[in-house]
Amino acid sequence: MEFDIPLPEELELLEANSYYPEEEDDDYLNFEEAPYPFPIDGDEEKKEEEKDPNHQISESNGCKRPRSLVSDPIVNLDEATPVSGKRSKINDNRVEMEDEEWLRLSPVKEAVNVIEEEEEVIPQETVLSRYASEIDGECFPVTAPDGGDRVYAKFSRSLGDEEVKRFDLKAKSNGLIKDPISVLLQQSEKEAFTKALQISSEDQNETITTETSVMHERLWVDKYSPSSFTELLSDEQTNREVLLWLKQWDASVFGSEIRSTTDEVLSALKRHSTPSHRQKSDSAFTRKKEFNRWNKERSTYPTNSDVSNSDTTDNHDLLNKKSKLVGPPEQKILLLCGPPGLGKTTLAHVAAKHCGYRVVEINASDERSAAAIETRILDVVQMNSVTADSRPKCLVIDEIDGALGDGKGAVDVILKMVLAEKKNATGKENVDNRKTSSKKERRTAPLSRPIICICNDLYAPALRPLRQIAKVHIFVQPTVSRVVNRLKYICNMEGMKTRSFGLSALADYTECDIRSCLNTLQFLNKKNETLNVIDIGSQVVGRKDMSKSLFDIWKEIFNKRKMKRERSNDASGSEAKKFDFLHSLVSSRGDYDLIFDGIHENILQLQYHDPAMDKTVSCLDCLGTSDLLHRYIMRTQQMHLYVYIPSLVIPIHRRVAQIQRPTIQWPKSYHRCRTLLVEKQESLRSWHHKIPPYIGRHLSVKSFVEDSISPLLHILSPPTLRPVASHLLSERQKDQLASLVMLMHSYSLTYKNVKLDPALSNLRESVASDTSVLALDPHLFDCISFKGRQIKHHVLTLAMKQVLVHEVEKQKILQASGGRSGILSTPEIKKISPDSVRKTIAASNESHRNPVTSKPPSISVENAPTPKPKSGDVKKASRNAVNFFDRFRKSRKDYEDPEDVQKRATAKRDSRPLLFKFNEGFTNAVKRPVRMREFLL
Amino acid sequence: MEIRVKCGCGEDECSEWTIVELQGVVETQSSFQGSVQSLEIGRLCHSDSSQYTFTVGYHELTGSKVTLKKPLLVLKKLQKCTDGSSQKETELEVVGIIRSKILFKTRPKPLFSGTSGK
Repeated sequence: MEFDIPLPEELELLEANSYYPEEEDDDYLNFEEAPYPFPIDGDEEKKEEEKDPNHQISESNGCKRPRSLVSDPIVNLDEATPVSGKRSKINDNRVEMEDEEWLRLSPVKEAVNVIEEEEEVIPQETVLSRYASEIDGECFPVTAPDGGDRVYAKFSRSLGDEEVKRFDLKAKSNGLIKDPISVLLQQSEKEAFTKALQISSEDQNETITTETSVMHERLWVDKYSPSSFTELLSDEQTNREVLLWLKQWDASVFGSEIRSTTDEVLSALKRHSTPSHRQKSDSAFTRKKEFNRWNKERSTYPTNSDVSNSDTTDNHDLLNKKSKLVGPPEQKILLLCGPPGLGKTTLAHVAAKHCGYRVVEINASDERSAAAIETRILDVVQMNSVTADSRPKCLVIDEIDGALGDGKGAVDVILKMVLAEKKNATGKENVDNRKTSSKKERRTAPLSRPIICICNDLYAPALRPLRQIAKVHIFVQPTVSRVVNRLKYICNMEGMKTRSFGLSALADYTECDIRSCLNTLQFLNKKNETLNVIDIGSQVVGRKDMSKSLFDIWKEIFNKRKMKRERSNDASGSEAKKFDFLHSLVSSRGDYDLIFDGIHENILQLQYHDPAMDKTVSCLDCLGTSDLLHRYIMRTQQMHLYVYIPSLVIPIHRRVAQIQRPTIQWPKSYHRCRTLLVEKQESLRSWHHKIPPYIGRHLSVKSFVEDSISPLLHILSPPTLRPVASHLLSERQKDQLASLVMLMHSYSLTYKNVKLDPALSNLRESVASDTSVLALDPHLFDCISFKGRQIKHHVLTLAMKQVLVHEVEKQKILQASGGRSGILSTPEIKKISPDSVRKTIAASNESHRNPVTSKPPSISVENAPTPKPKSGDVKKASRNAVNFFDRFRKSRKDYEDPEDVQKRATAKRDSRPLLFKFNEGFTNAVKRPVRMREFLL
Repeated sequence: MEIRVKCGCGEDECSEWTIVELQGVVETQSSFQGSVQSLEIGRLCHSDSSQYTFTVGYHELTGSKVTLKKPLLVLKKLQKCTDGSSQKETELEVVGIIRSKILFKTRPKPLFSGTSGK
């Protein structure tokens, strides 16, 4: 109890001086007067101590009360109230004190007053000192919150609990006083602030007090955001699906403990099969209510792990009615999409919390670089926190469509993880099919936590890969009545007077965007205005910047709005509005070519009344105009002309818009057509390069496709050819075959084994039912085959084609060897004198021809090469070359000369006695030691 | 011990030889009968870029010229009977000097023509 405080006045004086060097002498006087009553009042130190804090507080109360308009001091007061019990004890003392004080203080101005108050306390604060040396016994340092000041407090062991409390309190209060200047400044500032506030509030409105303004700091949206699953406003079906998906993770995330409970629920699960939610909703409703109540009770506590656990167990039966699967879900990623303000993020958070996860949100719009996103995602998904909150995490990636900055950061990372996992899984399945549990563990290693992605536009190009692997839920607008009910509830809670009509109009206008509704309402409430039905449109309704998705735009174009038409009394006004609306809609979206593609794709599928095809024609006209415009813009780069494109939508809309909902498809035909075109062009071009230049130069791919493909195909498939052995063919047929082979060779056409294309087999008379079919190597038939049109060309039989393939191959080899050997055997030619070359060629033309051509033992037709030498003088034939065959023959002649030489060359080479045998890997060089005497002898 | 070498030609005009080093063996064809003497082994061609091609049989070898670290002498051993008939004296006559070799160490490229073999 030795709380003895040295109370020498000098010391206090010193202290006071050290603290307030700038103070005036008046204060000293006051100060000296004040403390004296204390020793007189309380003989014992302890008593004084007891008094001390109370005294100080009451004093401060007294001082501050006149200024209590300030809101903060009131709060301070509230903090101080716990001492009130003690206050009563020494009430009389205090009263005396106060009286004295007031008597003394009343004439002084307020600013001085404050100083007074602080001064007053200092003498009593005997445990604290600026210098450690001034305190005898143990002491510990106390540093002021702003770090500027440090005092040393006396440390007393004999303090009881009460004392400790008191001491703390005192220290606290002293701490406030330790900083007189800053506190003074703050207080004066606050005073000025409250004065200004008062003045302004008096000016504006008497009823709105400062108190309410402080309380309303929170947005209604946050304040009334659903905290439990059952409070969610979004579609029940979607909510349940999301929850089901999350629950499917339980087995892998939480392990077996939850699974044991699911087992017992499994029987109930089977009875309650999924389809009827509506029926269940009755039974669920009571539970919902009690859950609500329960949740409210709990809501006073901070959410910690056991709350969430009990949360899950409590609602387990409710949740598990839906959960059929026990393993982790098929799709590891959930993609929620929908227009803004429907509560996607809220649903994700609430559902995840509900299932016992700790929600980690990544706002993909903020972090742009892929690396940053990757590390964050990996952190969340693969690590588990060791700290207090050890619940498994659930990743919520908000606005993932905003992540398409640098290489689609988040999307790529997620894709990589999921794909790696799949690969892993397929690999594992082969190894062990039995051990499902162990397999599961390994499978979930890369991605072991649920990921919920949220986006506004499902069809954002960045999300395309994600869309394929994720489980997609599209948010639909909640019914207006549901939104209105919630709005009404909130308005009632806030004491705002609204009519349900106005609320429904608001909800309608914002398209059930709850966030925007609430913000608007709060805004109006703040302004103390009532919701006005008429000028909702003109009122400031905060809307999230939204450009509609393409599908919405197309729907808008093809769909006539029923409601609007009914509502509009004056047709012209609504039309103008509609005009405006469409125009702004399309122009805010921007992808004009895509929009028009979509129109083009879908317009003919619409069912509109158009007996004379007028509408269709004019619509297509508009499309044509847009095409022209687009093309012109692209060519001349005059982008400002884009302004005129959106207006083209409007006539189309007016012509074809229907009340019933159209089924809109994504425009694929243009893309398909384009890829097909490129593909065919490519194949034709490569073919064109293969044609020998003396033929190819007369062909351009374009004119060939347009003009000569069909006749060429007729030539290529003559109906008279029969697939029989060559010796059975008549002379004329032989000629025909030979010429056909030459033609095919010179145009470098051949037949090739192709996998039977089902689409093509319809168009063509299917030659064979085999999976592979011989088709022309460049698909010339494809170039002239159109949908729904039968090809009238005669198609050769498979046997014939085979014969042709063989012949063409042979021809090719002959040609190639001729050309090649010509180059190779040049030195040999040189050896022979030019005169003899002529002779030998002439001779060989006659003599060597037959043995060479008769070499192939197959059924092949030897006619192909033979007719040429026999047809007479080669030169003569080349002279009167009429068609390209003759031209070819001429060129043949050039080839033939070296060929014959080659024949001889090969014969000679074959007779060559020496061959080279390559020894691989090591040198076979002979190193033989030579003795000196061999040189000498 | 000193070995005397006789050089008929001058120091500068000594005829230079070149080694053709093959990684492999030049063989006769199995069907070939007769003497190997004075058969043409192949054709050695020198293109611009220090590339040598050597055609043996139906193989084409590609090689390059390598300077030897130590030049070699090509000697011819002559045995003369000088004073007496019994005493033979050996003379070494320089035929040429080898300063470089053409090395064919890569796998030969087979030469085919469409009609010949396959």
